[in-house]
Amino acid sequence: MAQLITQEEIEKIARLSHIELHETEIASTIQHVSAVLSYAARVQEIAKDVTMPSLKNSNVEREDVVIPCDAQAILAQAPEREGDFFVVPVIIEGQ
Amino acid sequence: MSIHPFITIQELEQKLARKEICRKEVLEFYLRRFEAFDGQIGSALEIFEKYSILTNTNMQNGELFGIPGLIKDNICQKDRTTSCASKILENFVATYDATAIQRLKDAGALLIGRANMDEFAMGSSTETSAFQKTHNPWDLTRVPGGSSGGSIAAVAAGLVPWALGSETGGSVRQPAALCGIVGLKPTYGLISRYGLIAYASSLDQIGIATRTVYDNARVLSVIAGKDKNDASMQQVEKKDYTQKLDGKLPHNLKIGVVSNALYAEGMDTEIIEKIQEAVKVFEQQGASIKEMQLPTLDYAAATYFILSRAEAASNLARFDGVRYGLRNKKAQSLSKMYFTSRHDGFGQEVRSRILVGNYVLSAGHAGQFYNNAQKVQRLISHEFKQAFADVDILVMPVHPAPAFKMGAFENDKLQMDLQDYFTCAMNIAGIPALALPCGFSKDNLPIGFQIVGPHLSEELLFQVGHAFQQATDWHTKTPAGY
Repeated sequence: MAQLITQEEIEKIARLSHIELHETEIASTIQHVSAVLSYAARVQEIAKDVTMPSLKNSNVEREDVVIPCDAQAILAQAPEREGDFFVVPVIIEGQ
Repeated sequence: MSIHPFITIQELEQKLARKEICRKEVLEFYLRRFEAFDGQIGSALEIFEKYSILTNTNMQNGELFGIPGLIKDNICQKDRTTSCASKILENFVATYDATAIQRLKDAGALLIGRANMDEFAMGSSTETSAFQKTHNPWDLTRVPGGSSGGSIAAVAAGLVPWALGSETGGSVRQPAALCGIVGLKPTYGLISRYGLIAYASSLDQIGIATRTVYDNARVLSVIAGKDKNDASMQQVEKKDYTQKLDGKLPHNLKIGVVSNALYAEGMDTEIIEKIQEAVKVFEQQGASIKEMQLPTLDYAAATYFILSRAEAASNLARFDGVRYGLRNKKAQSLSKMYFTSRHDGFGQEVRSRILVGNYVLSAGHAGQFYNNAQKVQRLISHEFKQAFADVDILVMPVHPAPAFKMGAFENDKLQMDLQDYFTCAMNIAGIPALALPCGFSKDNLPIGFQIVGPHLSEELLFQVGHAFQQATDWHTKTPAGY
């Protein structure tokens, strides 16, 4: 059962994933992703007969308390910063 | 006083206690070994400066006082780089200790460096590391397995007595088997994931690599047990996992040999034979053996591909070049920065897994893939539960063939992914498994097998594994030249 993914689909998924996809990478990416999906599709063969209810998960909550931490150590990791702010490129793109 | 390079934690501890050697001498001994041999093995991404190792831990006493270990580079060590072997985190410095690291430091362990791994733990050969290849100490032209290949190769070559790895689908057991050492994948929630950089959070667990089962139990005793910083944990108290290791199997132990795994298509006959011999050892020790079928195991890899990629796509969305990690500084707009930073920072395997993950979660495909995988996950868990109503533990292969040549699956990535075939079911079900060496191929490459138990049966697995190692000497074999 071949689960072939189209170029249009792979480009859409790459967009949703916020990952640039170069022209030269498209063919090999389609091949790799399709191979994994074709194999993974076999879950359908037995899933249709599953009547067991899903496992009940429960939330584990903790008190909302401030834990002291060294903000400077975290800010020091910033690729670009100005004072105590992270710097990013322009958000609203022009025409 | 000299030490044998393949000394166990247990023996080393006795030498330290008798003051035959001090912890600084132990450390210097292993640092010299890294210097002498790691150029050819490539297990470590970094070995720390000697005095920082000696002072960055309990300097007085502790359960692992003066015992050096290597840490997979996806586990945070405060003020050290934690790269996940990825360019995107190449310069990331951890601002806190993972819970496991904190406990090891409290216990006086010497944390000597960072182990190479597949990028973000995604791979089965340690070849997807952005920085270097790791070689199998038994044959340098072959892979050590993965993704915890650096941790395992270091232990196998006697560069360190123990190491931490991590498991999402077999990343400790598979390399342990390919390098002839012991690898534990604990019950989900037994070791805190706080400070373990996430791949697939519902499957991830820190795992332990050692040369003996006893040593493995020693390390687990230090790091296991509940932690308020990980909400997914089992509420298990700290305990000594070596207590029941008397070298004997429990009375009336019932072992199930999973025949559809052992005789699966494509299994190397040498591996089948070695596992059959291992089963005979248990039989001679008084265990009763029966063959069993676990048919949904054959769907585990497909289920694992879907669940792990889906969670990876979500977990790895945080790497955006804004607050930490690699950023393409030439990008003129925010979106361009996201897209190019993630393209340049992640390797090809990681990018593919994110794409697969978002595909199986996307509208129109989630029903076919993600929702069905969750259903099969229930089937797999149920099948194990039924099996454990009948037998105490299961015996299974870890790998279908001995360690493969480097680059062997470069053009067939699906075959590489299928290295998880026999291991990922335990991650899906959240149950523990212990990989052990049980022989060698005609080419002198290690062969391993795994014993699998129900939730929180680590003590039983250790008891069985230790009894096996008292009756066999596979764990005492070491690669030539080290």
